[in-house]
Amino acid sequence: MKITDMLKKDLMLLELKAGSKEEVVGELVDALVKKGIVSNREGFVNAVMEREKMSSTGIGMGIAIPHGRSNAVSKPSIVFGKSTKGIDYQSLDGEPAYIFFLIAVPEDSNNEHLKVLSQLSRKLMHEDVREKLIASTNEAEVISAFQE
Amino acid sequence: MKLVAVTSCPTGIAHTYMAAEALENAAKKKGIALKVETQGSVGVENELTAEEIREAHAVIIAAGANVSKERFEGKAILEVEVAQAIKDAANIIERAMQLEKKDLAQQVETIKQERSAERTGFYKHLMSGVSFMLPLVVAGGLIIALSFVFGIEAFKEEGTLAAALMQIGGASAFGLMVPILAGYIAFSIADRPGLAPGLIGGSLAVQVGAGFLGGIIAGFIAGYTADFLKKTIRLPKSLEGLKPILLLPFLSSLFVGIMMIYVIGAPVKSISDALTGWLQNLSGTNAALLGAILGAMMAFDMGGPVNKAAYTFAVGLLGSNIFEPQAAVMAAGMTPPLGLALATVLFKNKFSTAEREAGKAAWVLGISFITEGAIPFAAADPIRVLPSIITGSAVAGALSMAFKATLRAPHGGIFVLPIPNAVGNLGGYIVAIAAGTMITALLLGILKKKID
Repeated sequence: MKITDMLKKDLMLLELKAGSKEEVVGELVDALVKKGIVSNREGFVNAVMEREKMSSTGIGMGIAIPHGRSNAVSKPSIVFGKSTKGIDYQSLDGEPAYIFFLIAVPEDSNNEHLKVLSQLSRKLMHEDVREKLIASTNEAEVISAFQE
Repeated sequence: MKLVAVTSCPTGIAHTYMAAEALENAAKKKGIALKVETQGSVGVENELTAEEIREAHAVIIAAGANVSKERFEGKAILEVEVAQAIKDAANIIERAMQLEKKDLAQQVETIKQERSAERTGFYKHLMSGVSFMLPLVVAGGLIIALSFVFGIEAFKEEGTLAAALMQIGGASAFGLMVPILAGYIAFSIADRPGLAPGLIGGSLAVQVGAGFLGGIIAGFIAGYTADFLKKTIRLPKSLEGLKPILLLPFLSSLFVGIMMIYVIGAPVKSISDALTGWLQNLSGTNAALLGAILGAMMAFDMGGPVNKAAYTFAVGLLGSNIFEPQAAVMAAGMTPPLGLALATVLFKNKFSTAEREAGKAAWVLGISFITEGAIPFAAADPIRVLPSIITGSAVAGALSMAFKATLRAPHGGIFVLPIPNAVGNLGGYIVAIAAGTMITALLLGILKKKID
């Protein structure tokens, strides 16, 4: 299984409306609720915000990867989100975040999915991948950023 | 130069891997070999081997969650937040490279400091008491030994130098041993208010014949009593000053004193007497067996709680004029580093260059009775090193007891051997140490694998 197998076009929000950290998490989670992947919206939002409390997942360089592990999630999923105006995510470098990956994992997820997610995290540390993501204007370009 | 790193984070989904990637990228750019172990939701991946850890210049730990540092004992460690590794990996690699690679003696020093910082509760208090008592035992033991230069009975002649030496070493130094032990156990528990009742309780333990066992008990009773009173007694603010200067010493000493005389004293005295009697009459197989057990304990955790239990037992007995276990314990504590040092010379192909270098320092640590000198070797290859050093130490302890070797000083390694009368049956004692060292080295030669 590859990263591109887990990126679904209908889980990509190229024009995020949110203006704050709470709003953007809510907006990304809503996409999962709409698809029936998250049953309990509040439960999963709480799981994500709990993780944020330990330390912001805004890793700097314009990227944030909110994530949570919860029973409210039925299958491991990634929601991609992009904000043109940028959102203050209390990132490590103090800069606003433009690119978001919400990672949702059920409590009992199998290793295959978790491995793919670890690959995604690793990819985001590469400048060329980040540049492609920030420049992307449609779903196909987002996916192609992760193609070898 | 090589580095190793461990990354981990609370959920183990993202940061663990981002930090790993960031560190790997930064190291690659600098042309430094770096292996990163990730401890994430998938479990441990890319696990570091003992060999890789041994060869690494330094260890980087980037972990929000706890990562056990046991494997890295004695290594130079740079600990950072996982987020920091993501943000500033290049700088972290740089800092790790600048850490001094520690030589064996420094590693051992760090291990000792970490261990003493980790001690808690009962063990910490006991060790605190023992560490304050040791100088008295050293002084007393060696000065008594000096008095024997004039003959074993010479001190009985009043007005002679031998008698004076016995007065210094025996009546004074050894007389203070148990009170100081009890006093500083209590001090460790209750801080300053513990000291007076501890000293008094320890002194009573000596007077009622309850020995060092009684002293340990007195110290704990005194410490917890003082601590309890300190926390429970509440006085109006204007009288608060009377508490530490009047109430605490009076009440806690009274309680400890009554307890020692009417409750604790008699039963502990009988246990203490039984133990002393048994040890005095111990000979042959039983003596060797006790020596083997004490010896194995010394090597088991090399300066850890099991080692200290055997050691404290032997030191305590010095006050009861039983000197054989102390000899066994010191011999067994010297052979692990000595055996390892010898093995690095005899079996060069089974040790890395770094270990052969460390072997030279291990000689010095061994002759100084610093058992911790074996830890870096044992941490790198516990399955083969531990059985070797435990067996070697058991043999050293058993032979020392079987030869009825005695030791009047609680420490000092090879340097106490030339002091007149410090060691009884010096020849046998040297044989015991040499045999333990050789058996340790030979077993290492058999068990350890060749290094390519």
